[in-house]
Amino acid sequence: MKYEQLEGGGSLCLRIETKNGEETKPQVGEKSFASSLPPQTSNVTTGMADMKMIQEIPLHQIDLLDETFSVNFMPDLRSLRSSIREIGLIQPVLLRKRKGAFQIICGFRRISILRELGNDKLPAMVFEERERDDLHLFIVCLHENMMARGFHAVEKAIALEKLIDYFDVDRSVIIQSYLPLFSLEPNEKILSTYLSLARMEEDTRRYVLREEVSRSNIRILSALAPDDRIALIPFLSSLKLGENRLREVLTILDEICRRDRVGLKEMIHRTEIQAILSREELTPVQKTERLKRVLMDLRYPKMKTLEEGFEKMRKALHLPAGVSLNHSPYFEGRELEIDFQFQSMEEYRSFVSSLSSLADKKEFEEMIQGSRIRSTKFEIRNNLK
Amino acid sequence: MDLKGRFARYSEFGFYLNCMLPFRIEKIYLDEKAEKDWVTQSLLRSLPGVPVERVEDKRNLIKQSLHIADPIGMGKRNLLVTHFYGRRLKPCPGTSRHICCGYHVINAVTNCTMDCSYCVLQGYLNNPFLTFYSNWDDLLREIEDFLSMKRNPLSRLGTGELSDSLALESIFPVSQFLIPFFAGRENGLLELKTKSAMVDPILHLDHRGKTIVSWSLNPPGVIREEERNTASLEERIGAAEQCQRKGYPLGFHFDPMFDYPGWEEGYREVVQSIFERIDPKGVIWISLGGFRYPPKLRAIAKDRFPDTRIFSGELFPGRDGKFRYLKEIRTEMYRKMVEWLREVDSGLFIYLCMESREVWEDAFGWAPENSSHLNYLFEERVKRFL
Repeated sequence: MKYEQLEGGGSLCLRIETKNGEETKPQVGEKSFASSLPPQTSNVTTGMADMKMIQEIPLHQIDLLDETFSVNFMPDLRSLRSSIREIGLIQPVLLRKRKGAFQIICGFRRISILRELGNDKLPAMVFEERERDDLHLFIVCLHENMMARGFHAVEKAIALEKLIDYFDVDRSVIIQSYLPLFSLEPNEKILSTYLSLARMEEDTRRYVLREEVSRSNIRILSALAPDDRIALIPFLSSLKLGENRLREVLTILDEICRRDRVGLKEMIHRTEIQAILSREELTPVQKTERLKRVLMDLRYPKMKTLEEGFEKMRKALHLPAGVSLNHSPYFEGRELEIDFQFQSMEEYRSFVSSLSSLADKKEFEEMIQGSRIRSTKFEIRNNLK
Repeated sequence: MDLKGRFARYSEFGFYLNCMLPFRIEKIYLDEKAEKDWVTQSLLRSLPGVPVERVEDKRNLIKQSLHIADPIGMGKRNLLVTHFYGRRLKPCPGTSRHICCGYHVINAVTNCTMDCSYCVLQGYLNNPFLTFYSNWDDLLREIEDFLSMKRNPLSRLGTGELSDSLALESIFPVSQFLIPFFAGRENGLLELKTKSAMVDPILHLDHRGKTIVSWSLNPPGVIREEERNTASLEERIGAAEQCQRKGYPLGFHFDPMFDYPGWEEGYREVVQSIFERIDPKGVIWISLGGFRYPPKLRAIAKDRFPDTRIFSGELFPGRDGKFRYLKEIRTEMYRKMVEWLREVDSGLFIYLCMESREVWEDAFGWAPENSSHLNYLFEERVKRFL
């Protein structure tokens, strides 16, 4: 379909054509979307059947402070600005008459740019004050934006929150009809995730948007107290965290805090963590690596002790280069594994000779006997036997 | 009195007992195939006032339920009455590459009204509903056939794996059927495992020592934070005391045990609390098992219980793919528990649940040769005990 301006009676009107050129009533969205709307929105398509005349509206008559229908968050205006600069406004904005001024239904970004470029009026289609209810107009706004540019995660969150809190739409209707509009799976968990995002502090929402934080990580963030999140965001921003690493850091922090019953703020202000963050010569990637080691040591102190003990004994063996000695995964079993590679018989003989001398080393025997020694120390007679 | 008569008499009191429980059944979904069973009819009489919806296709009902926000939570409040097709008596699945005790599981009911954050059923059952299988005659026949084959000198069977053995007794008097049934079986032993204190309905029964009533125990803080809708430690011990007075052999399961700051004090106090009121000579066995979980449980439990602390320990994947505490931690917990229990009575029969040979050796200084050997040790224990 295409929009075209027609002259007539000193004003402009809107005509919408289908692909085969046949004139039709204006639609606000694709059929699949419209058909998914709940009963309370079912009059949207028929409502828009009335063509709106395009009018020239003075900018100063538009109430710029009224954001009832806005879902914008950190809008990227660059491409729209250059487009308007180059060829002007293609699509008129939607306004509603309200208390002697005009309320913006759709076109917040365009109006902002036109103002910035010094325009004093703009083409608009105008709804009368009581012509349509708020929910209807909000849906029009959602449809228009969805078709024109789509929404990012925070904007989807804001839209869903407005539907619930401001427009009083039932949660089940939102799940079934509006989540698919935003290309989201229709379930309560998804809705809760987005609502929690909408209610987060601005800095957190900026972080979520900037770092394209996943839904599972949004859920982890949403479980934190607002104060903890506020403390956490600068900390996270100073690191280089991909999706998995972010989840790992958040999970480890959370589990340490729960185990030790300390607050997250207290946790990230620990000396060893701040020491890493304050080192300006480190890149975010280096900081992240070092921080991960510190967090893992705090999270798994017994494993750290075992690893250090094993490493100490391994070093004492003075193994030849190219030979590795490993414990069982997570120290679950008693077995040790020696690994080496060779290319010649000479190399092989050299390795075997070095390895056979291990049997004479006290440290090696201790490594093999380690867990048995511990168990005899605590030997307990059991009546099962 | 036959089964039908017993159930009918029981149904008269079901409603009043149900009112006393820490849970409510909000709705009954009745599979059309189960509608005419005498068990179903008695069950419906015991839950008057609870809305009933007839279900033509239970698979569709279950499929739909999986799309809601918390199907597991919903399932605990909604009862599905249906038939069970297939074997209902199965060897305990145990876990690979570990020593298991050779227990047999009776599936009379699946799911549970209790809501423990660590419950493995959250990720195990593909049907979230509290489900009662009304083809009872088939179940009793299956148990009868199993015991008559006499594959083992003594088989241990229990109902506490896929549900709590006693928590639902006011709605389904399963144990009240099974206790007299096992009283007359020479080679079968029934174990009822519970976290409830609902023992009144079974106290008067003639069990002949062939039913063991056992409790899963944890320190009060763990019960409060992680075991929702269960009886307190004090109530559980009180119920055990009542059962002991009525001659029931008792079992205690410290499983799952949790590693948390202060665990030693917590578990030692539980041991003390038990034996202030319980005669250790009447305890047939005690099991120990560190918290373990299949990988998929973590996301489910964290989602359902955001404040849970069960995943805060040093847990790593084991040989069977389940996460367990570091071996050093487990053996330390087991050694200490064994020490404290032995201080009470050196003759207590203590075993480890789903542990490796190495851990047995580290904890006790010896290990059963394999699962069959452990099963044999159980048989010997029962012979000496009864």
